[in-house]
Amino acid sequence: MATREAGKKMIMLKSPDGMEFEVEEAVAMESQTIRKMIEDDCADTAILIPNINSKILSRVIEYCNKHVPTTGATGAAASDTVAPAALAEDLKIWDAEFIKVNRATRFDLIQAASYLNIKGLLDLTSQTTIDTISDNSLEEIRSFLSTKNDYLPEEEQTIRRENQWAFQ
Amino acid sequence: MAAALHHRPRSRSPLQDEDLLSEVLLRLPPQPSSLPRASAVCKRWRRLVSDPGFLRRYRQHHRRSPPLLGFFRSDYPGISYTPAMEAPDRVPAGRFSLNLNDRYSILSCRHGLVLISHSLRNQVLVWDPVTGDQHRVAAPLGIDMATTLMDGQVLRAAADAQHFQVVLVNYKKKYARAIAAIYSSETGVWSNLIETPVPREAMEYESMPPVLVGDSLYILLPGDSTSVILEVDLDSQSLAVLGLPMDTFAKDQFLMAMRAEGGGLGVLSLTGFAAELWKRNKDCDGVASWVLGRTFEMDKLLPLNSEQIRHTPMVAYAEENNVAFLRTFDSIFMVQLESLQFSKLPENSNCDICYPLESVYASETSIGGGHDGADQNMLNQ
Repeated sequence: MATREAGKKMIMLKSPDGMEFEVEEAVAMESQTIRKMIEDDCADTAILIPNINSKILSRVIEYCNKHVPTTGATGAAASDTVAPAALAEDLKIWDAEFIKVNRATRFDLIQAASYLNIKGLLDLTSQTTIDTISDNSLEEIRSFLSTKNDYLPEEEQTIRRENQWAFQ
Repeated sequence: MAAALHHRPRSRSPLQDEDLLSEVLLRLPPQPSSLPRASAVCKRWRRLVSDPGFLRRYRQHHRRSPPLLGFFRSDYPGISYTPAMEAPDRVPAGRFSLNLNDRYSILSCRHGLVLISHSLRNQVLVWDPVTGDQHRVAAPLGIDMATTLMDGQVLRAAADAQHFQVVLVNYKKKYARAIAAIYSSETGVWSNLIETPVPREAMEYESMPPVLVGDSLYILLPGDSTSVILEVDLDSQSLAVLGLPMDTFAKDQFLMAMRAEGGGLGVLSLTGFAAELWKRNKDCDGVASWVLGRTFEMDKLLPLNSEQIRHTPMVAYAEENNVAFLRTFDSIFMVQLESLQFSKLPENSNCDICYPLESVYASETSIGGGHDGADQNMLNQ
């Protein structure tokens, strides 16, 4: 059941492995997918999130909790005395810590962020993935992302020749 | 009973899912080498980063941080391009080739478009150097490009918009007036002529290219005794004349309109080596005033051989990157005006005004095909 706690509307999120998370509606609505369900009145009791296991869902909720605009749920971030620039800086540091996870978890978070349509989390997870590969050689990128090079040697040569300057 | 989100098949890795992979690849840095390199990883990556929809989103994603690729300048009788980035992001000049068979000169380069004047025909050419697209637009009645001092500017309404605007300004010294007209490629027509009085003394010299701040272009008109800034409000299609921070001008003083730190209009004043950054502030009643920000000494910042150089004239301003170009006798220094970091380009031609190309180099034609030209070549012989 949706309940009220300290005047705030709560909502229940359920993961497929049977875990239940009670979160503030405002926090859940950081997900545009959930926001739409709530606004369309499809979520008066609880919402089952079929694709995301409890471990990942709890991380996603942790992220939303931190990023929900100053509702009082986020401790320091909610303080009126903190300047916006300092708040943004605080969030950046928090994000950098949050995303220190292994590759499998980060990929799961990308999927969850895309599925739940949480733009900030999708930006953070995708950007971190790109940042880890952008200075690497093509071989390293392929091996890091388990991507197979399906070019014939002469095909790859042709592609490099087309934009030779980009491979110098 | 619990509501359930729709189930979506789960793939092994997000990078197997093409939508998610392109979401990730969208965050590749806006540097020119990013997409050519990504397309060499495997066939699937190549297909994704060559897709017109992806390229549109990629340009949109990076629209606020276009890299400073290099600069154009009029190099009689044509136009030349000089790359300003290091390898592997040094897009060779041959990529930006334009066949001109008459006398043309550059008026403006903004949002990845170049505006070129053909003054004898009273016509401008809008050229997209990345795609090669060209549009010719005849100047409206009342704007004279051949015999009257003028400015011309090009911009896109939104960074990735297909449509562009052209602004032509005539300075009628005899009548102490500036007259302007704004063209929209969306409607294909010119606005009515708009005009405003301008002090005659401020129309003495050709000025540095205008800066776009918000919805307005600001053209600094320098004169020996009086200098003003002409504001072209593109939204309300009106002109206004603004004062400058200083009423008196030193002999060697050089002024340039720029984007101020934190937004808004700014002015960089360079007297000899002494640089001052000014910002135009508006109070709550809308009354504007100039506030002096940072000051620095250019000769302490740049490794100049001061015996040979008395001052360093500015030759360009890249507004998106906030970079000023200063010329010495054998090089061009590019100074980022917030960090004051600089880089040096060897340069042996005694160049005049340069037109920086700030653009996300990503077009359908940039992946595959094409040809590499010499590093610095005359595009028009």
